[in-house]
Amino acid sequence: MICNQCGERPASVLVKQKRNGQLTERHLCHVCAAENHNLNLAFEQDPLAIHQLLSNWFPVHSPSVNPVKKEVTVCPSCGFTFNNFLKLGKFGCATCYEAFESNLEEIFKRLHNGNKEHTGKIPAFYGSTLKIKKEIEELRKQLKISIEEEEFEEAAKLRDQVRELNKQLEGGADHGD
Amino acid sequence: MAIDRFLEPKASSWMANAGDNTDIAMSTRIRLARNLNDFKFPYAFTEDEALKVDKAISSVLLDRGEEVNQEFTHIDIHEVSSLHRELLVEKHLISPYLAAGIHAGSVLISKNEELSIMINEEDHLRIQSLQSGFHLQEAYKVANELDSLLEENLQYAFHEKFGYLTSCPTNTGTGMRASVMLHLPALTMSQQITRIIPAISRLGMVVRGIYGEGSEALGNVYQISNQLTLGKSEYEILQDLQNMTEQIIEQERRARQAIVDNSPLKLEDRIYRSLGILTYSRLLTTEEAAKCLSDVRLGIDLKLIENIDMSILNELMIFMQPAFLQHYSKKPLSPGERDIARAKLFRERLKEEHKINGDKEGEDSV
Ligand SMILES: [Zn+2]
Ligand SMILES: [Zn+2]
Repeated sequence: MICNQCGERPASVLVKQKRNGQLTERHLCHVCAAENHNLNLAFEQDPLAIHQLLSNWFPVHSPSVNPVKKEVTVCPSCGFTFNNFLKLGKFGCATCYEAFESNLEEIFKRLHNGNKEHTGKIPAFYGSTLKIKKEIEELRKQLKISIEEEEFEEAAKLRDQVRELNKQLEGGADHGD
Repeated sequence: MAIDRFLEPKASSWMANAGDNTDIAMSTRIRLARNLNDFKFPYAFTEDEALKVDKAISSVLLDRGEEVNQEFTHIDIHEVSSLHRELLVEKHLISPYLAAGIHAGSVLISKNEELSIMINEEDHLRIQSLQSGFHLQEAYKVANELDSLLEENLQYAFHEKFGYLTSCPTNTGTGMRASVMLHLPALTMSQQITRIIPAISRLGMVVRGIYGEGSEALGNVYQISNQLTLGKSEYEILQDLQNMTEQIIEQERRARQAIVDNSPLKLEDRIYRSLGILTYSRLLTTEEAAKCLSDVRLGIDLKLIENIDMSILNELMIFMQPAFLQHYSKKPLSPGERDIARAKLFRERLKEEHKINGDKEGEDSV
């Protein structure tokens, strides 16, 4: 039998619990059983059985779902398929977010009360690279225009600026000493 | 051994009682989830990657912790016995997930036990900041300072649109879970809590209790925390939680007053019976101990009981757990033997209280 909570590991414990007067029996693996530790509120279990929600939203075995579309979504970095993600309810790596991006908006909106974009803290490093990347983008646009208009002196200046910013990007990781 | 200092059945500073609202708010916790950009997350990484992640994060904390006035003890989870891991879990310093020791992993604990940093839990990095009482801003400040120190030295997995990238989509964005532990005996007695819980969950927050055999939350202790991590800033999340918690505290106060006004004798009787059980019983189950502790704590809050310290509920809820009882008794205990050890722990603790604060029984019982 597979664990009722994570749906991943084999169940090794039967947990009986009375909640609001209703007795429930759940077969859990050692990890999930530990998570349900009697006196421990400090560490959250998944606030909701995440993999269950996901597979309700994206029924994996439903014949109406286009099977071809499902097959191709594989994360090139960790090898997780979109189905792996749905079954486990967890990402395998940072690249998964890009690989599964087309489906994520829907998932995040449901999990976070309609929200789909981060508005909080930004790591200092990403803050500055993000700015530089946007500047480079802008300079490249101008560069293209000046080449088209045969303003080569201006183009050379812009190219130097792009080079300078690219150097900063590459060296950005070891700014702090 | 480095770990020993954290295993003493001695109260950590976050279990003490300090500040406003501590009659109802017991403790505050902030948790930040982070991952490193260059490694696969713990559900997919190799053991070799796990070791590298552990080393990268640990060395920054050990080398540079003093820059944020923190000195950490590093504990490698695979070098610790299962009983000791269990003790750290019971003291809220590591999670059951980390204790399971699935991968190479560690915990770094600050001297005052207010910060614990877990490496290779569900995410590469889990920063946990604990404070006694109701102190969301202060707890966040400590966690955030450490986070900023780490991001200067490590490259986090971060996405322009999605924010901090975490293993679980329920943490994506800020990666922050903020929570406050609340003692809500009056809202539980009046059953108002059963209406409050679903109402709050519609507002992006969640209230949970510890449920044992009975239908009431163990010790009438509940935890309120944010459920949303995406689309709101850390500041907004903390502000929402602050406001909601203040409202619940206010409702608990009103419910307490109503019980005092309507049935003072019944309340007093219940509180003193519970004090009697904790002071004299020879067998004490977890459920009974938690129920009586809650009553006694309410008695202290209402000034019916004056010679026992308020922090008794916070502390004994921790130290009456199985691993601490066994550590205390220096041997493994069956569930039945634990009930004996638990009763002994309470008798001794209450005797100490009487010694320190002076036994007023003589004057009071005339
Ligand atoms: Zn499981
Ligand atoms: Zn991946």
